[in-house]
Amino acid sequence: MLVCRRVAFLGLLLFSIASCSATPPPREAKLAEVQEQSLWGAGAPVYAPTEYDTYKLGLRKANDLLLKEQARFEWFRQYEPARDEYRKVLAQGERVLKLVEERKAEKSSSIKARLQLYTNRVETSGRLSSIINEGRLARRSLTRAEILLREARALHDAGKLFEAEEKLSQVPEYLSAAEDALSPILSRFVDKKHVAMWQRWVEETVANSKAAGAYAIVVSKVDRSLILYKAGKPITTYDVGLGRNGSLDKLHAGDGATPEGKYYITKKLPRSRYYKALLINYPNEEDRSRFAEAKRKGIISRRVGIGGLVEIHGGGKDSMTYGCVALENAEMEELYNIVGVGTPVTIVGALDHKSGIAKALGGL
Amino acid sequence: MKGGWKVSALGLVVLALLFVVGCAKAPTEDIEKAKAATSAAVAGDGAKYAPAEAKALQDSLNKALGEVKAQDEKWFKNYDNAKNMLTKVSADAEALKGTIAKKKEEAKQKATALQGEAKTAIEDAKKLLAKAPKGKGTKADIEAMKADVKGLEDGLAEVQKLFDAGNFLDAVTKAQAIKDKAASVSEQVKGAMAKTGKK
Repeated sequence: MLVCRRVAFLGLLLFSIASCSATPPPREAKLAEVQEQSLWGAGAPVYAPTEYDTYKLGLRKANDLLLKEQARFEWFRQYEPARDEYRKVLAQGERVLKLVEERKAEKSSSIKARLQLYTNRVETSGRLSSIINEGRLARRSLTRAEILLREARALHDAGKLFEAEEKLSQVPEYLSAAEDALSPILSRFVDKKHVAMWQRWVEETVANSKAAGAYAIVVSKVDRSLILYKAGKPITTYDVGLGRNGSLDKLHAGDGATPEGKYYITKKLPRSRYYKALLINYPNEEDRSRFAEAKRKGIISRRVGIGGLVEIHGGGKDSMTYGCVALENAEMEELYNIVGVGTPVTIVGALDHKSGIAKALGGL
Repeated sequence: MKGGWKVSALGLVVLALLFVVGCAKAPTEDIEKAKAATSAAVAGDGAKYAPAEAKALQDSLNKALGEVKAQDEKWFKNYDNAKNMLTKVSADAEALKGTIAKKKEEAKQKATALQGEAKTAIEDAKKLLAKAPKGKGTKADIEAMKADVKGLEDGLAEVQKLFDAGNFLDAVTKAQAIKDKAASVSEQVKGAMAKTGKK
């Protein structure tokens, strides 16, 4: 009876000690678990991998400490060291989260800037391709670039910044392809020597018109305009259309280019396929010598001819000529009735350095 | 004396219990099974199609392993909870495989649908271009837009490549971009047609 009472007393005592000293695991452990989830969700493994790894090491250390304590008898457990460790982890987690947000914001703004830059380049090249009617290689590449930009924008908006960046990295290839297709045509329009030569031709033409009190025609390719001078003064300007390769200087038959140089009207054609036409003396001496040199250098095939029958004709300014200069029929009628055989026709790339191409190129 | 015998018997029972519980073995087989199941589930497409679920599974495995470790360090080992946790991890891993397969199939369906829509949008643009007037005011624009369509067709071929490679999420993004651009080309063609009054 005495033994039973002693055992019961001992049991009660042990129960009391256990109940009094039993402390719950630190709530910081649960907080750290939640924080780790948040960090992962925020993209810490990709935006701050080193810091996240260090954080995880700290968390593992805290977890191990907790496990060790939990392995003890309840009334011997001391959670303070583990709690301290978790507090350190939580503080470190806050720093990592801040860093992640900073890096994400940084990346996002860098992507936005590149998106804007590339979009501008696509738009500028698109405008240039329209000005010079280069609608094949360049436009095709520009479309590919635009698809990538749309993809990158969608990925960026979905928070997939690395994927967006990867798409953006492919854009320059297509932009360069487009710009490479355009640059041989465009470079002449910003080349000072070329522009100076064109300006000299125009000045001579205008001066001759003034001296003779006669009509003269100046065609500016980049402006897509035909200016009619009388006695050295511009009296009318017409919008014109050129061919698919109209921005290039004509070199041979079939190149679709419009010649550049000082010409004159050799024949008036009242019943042309394109309403009415004014035939000019392409090829002139300079054209012939350039053509011969190109052949000698092997730039063009031996079998190709120099071409001819370059006209100012009607048919509409958007009739996509094969190298001629096209006007609306009503305006062609007017011009046809004013000018005569022998009227000088000077065709230049641009009248000055401030052409639309030069401005657009500034955007590249 | 009678009472002393009882105490000795109780002591023996306690000792026997201590021996049995203290020598409980770690569930090695369950651990290996759970680890293999987790690796199989999260490998490959796991991170791509169900990243949050894959992470949750990995965390569950880590917790279960933690529980094993906790018991390893105890005098009175009891792996029952750890075993249950590991069994659940294995079951969850199997379920995740199904989830990933389902999500991949959904992405495939979406990619197929968008690929079709992008193709239709390109065809629509081409039809409009064929109808567009080739004369005054539009010919250069039409020529340029034809080149745009060629670029879209190049892009569509890339969608097919992504699709064939099982990269359905990327295929979806690209197909959507192509569809939108094709729609904008159609709008431009309509604009060019409106300039000339042709419908």
